[in-house]
Amino acid sequence: MKLKRFLLRYFPPGIILEYEQGGSVKTKSVDLLDLQPGTPVDAVVDEITRKEPLITASKTDQVRKLIIRLQEKLNQRDDHHFYLFKVLRAHILPLTNVAFNKSGSSFITGSYDRTCKIWDTASGEELHTLEGHRNVVYAIAFNNPYGDKVATGSFDKTCKLWSADTGKCYHTYRGHISEIVCLSFNPQSSMIATGSMDTTAKLWDVETGVEVSTLSGHSAEIISLSFNNYGDELITGSFDHTVSIWDVRTGKRIHTLIGHKAEISSAQFSWDCKLVATGSMDRTCKIWDAATGRCIGTLRGHDDEVLDVAFDYTGTHLLSASADGTARCYDTVSHNVISTLQGHEGEISKIAFNPQGTTVLSASSDKTARLWDPDTGACKQILEGHTDEVFSCAFNYEGNTIITGSKDNTCRIWR
Amino acid sequence: MGLLALLRKLKSTQEKDLRILLLGLDNAGKTTLLKFLASEEITNVAPTQGFNIKTVQSAGFRLNVWDIGGQRKIRPYWKNYFENTDILLYVIDSADRKRFEETGMELQELLEEDKLHGVPLLVFANKQDLLNSAPASDIAEGLNLLKIRDRPWQIQAASALTGEGIKDGMEWVIKTVKKK
Repeated sequence: MKLKRFLLRYFPPGIILEYEQGGSVKTKSVDLLDLQPGTPVDAVVDEITRKEPLITASKTDQVRKLIIRLQEKLNQRDDHHFYLFKVLRAHILPLTNVAFNKSGSSFITGSYDRTCKIWDTASGEELHTLEGHRNVVYAIAFNNPYGDKVATGSFDKTCKLWSADTGKCYHTYRGHISEIVCLSFNPQSSMIATGSMDTTAKLWDVETGVEVSTLSGHSAEIISLSFNNYGDELITGSFDHTVSIWDVRTGKRIHTLIGHKAEISSAQFSWDCKLVATGSMDRTCKIWDAATGRCIGTLRGHDDEVLDVAFDYTGTHLLSASADGTARCYDTVSHNVISTLQGHEGEISKIAFNPQGTTVLSASSDKTARLWDPDTGACKQILEGHTDEVFSCAFNYEGNTIITGSKDNTCRIWR
Repeated sequence: MGLLALLRKLKSTQEKDLRILLLGLDNAGKTTLLKFLASEEITNVAPTQGFNIKTVQSAGFRLNVWDIGGQRKIRPYWKNYFENTDILLYVIDSADRKRFEETGMELQELLEEDKLHGVPLLVFANKQDLLNSAPASDIAEGLNLLKIRDRPWQIQAASALTGEGIKDGMEWVIKTVKKK
């Protein structure tokens, strides 16, 4: 094993080691999720050197410099004020979901008008219209971090794979017998998972266009799914009140997370894959141990259904968005509420942290998206202008651009 | 009314799915019955290796009918299909009197299955179009249907070839499910 070079990862903080082994180049990451601006650098360097055989004494100076750079990044003040950059008359019918590619240079919008469009973020120019679905395009995704492909899931029961560069359709995946409402690429971008109202999830091969396996076991609609960071496990959240963790390789169910008393609205892995967070119509969130499938905490406080949940990159904070018009930020270790985000005049349907974990973005039926301080719960900014409900919102990886998608058929870029 | 509410609306307008398991000895007429339900041509029905599934719309329900082959060597696999069954349809060749005992034993075993506990049973006394067929009442007696207490059941004289009695049977299925 020979170390070739270091790559820096800002969010979440980490150092990627590129090394040679048996003639091929491999990478592994040293995750520094606990790194703070005030953490003593020497202690961190010592720990890495002790645990990581690739880091020899001659490399410690370099590692020290990288850690200082990460700390500088963490220390950057977050006083970015967003202004409306562009209104895109994106579609002729309401938008469904929106998503950025990794660099944030382009993004995609899905719509009731049966298309998905690819946009250039800097110019607001439409790059491609992906046409071919025969019903609402509901679930969309880039194959991040690569960003050269787009997957679309539709109420027409099919999923399509497209080239992000040319807009050409590579494959149409058929097999679900009801609407596809959620999908995701695995991190390696070799597979797509789709979740459907037909109660199953399916795994599809990106290269060949064939079905790899069907994950059956839920007794009601699957409305949320995501891969863990390694791509070897998948979670599915269902209207049957349960969440399942699946082994991607075998297609077998590893755990069923039972405990919620109503439909699941969202299920997410933490970045380090140790925790699973779920939101439910039963007005609670739950935190689960991903390895054992045991519930380790129930987060109460909302007066109405929980519609979305989101971790920050370090997995120390969890957000919940509710139909009661508030969002909450919880500590995932103590399970205490850190802050309550009050101000929206309608239900909050989507919630997300910026990659730095310093700002919260929420989308609401009150036609606004808002930015919040997760520590104090103070509203930093109101993104106003949409003339109908905001269904979806997203930060780019840098955290300096926001897109919002609305029922008013437009998409807005905020910078 | 976020996106999730749209999905819930979508769900509530959807027809209810019913899972119907179609079992019986080989040559009882299960596949012919399935084809009749799906309004398909009934010529040249070959013995079923494995299974057939068809979805039929009826009275606001979507009937997913699973027709599992009835040959002796396939019967051990029946149990793989028991889960989530809403209705058990058991088909009998009313003219094949020398196999009444065999079909009765198979049915008895099905009724003792945990996974089929309480699942309503409809017996189709099939092939009533043949002259030497036994009347449904004789078959009910022979199969000890009258002793079934743990589930709703019904026997229906039918012919999958002519369609006689099938509509009546399916009406009983819908009525029984609505009661649940």
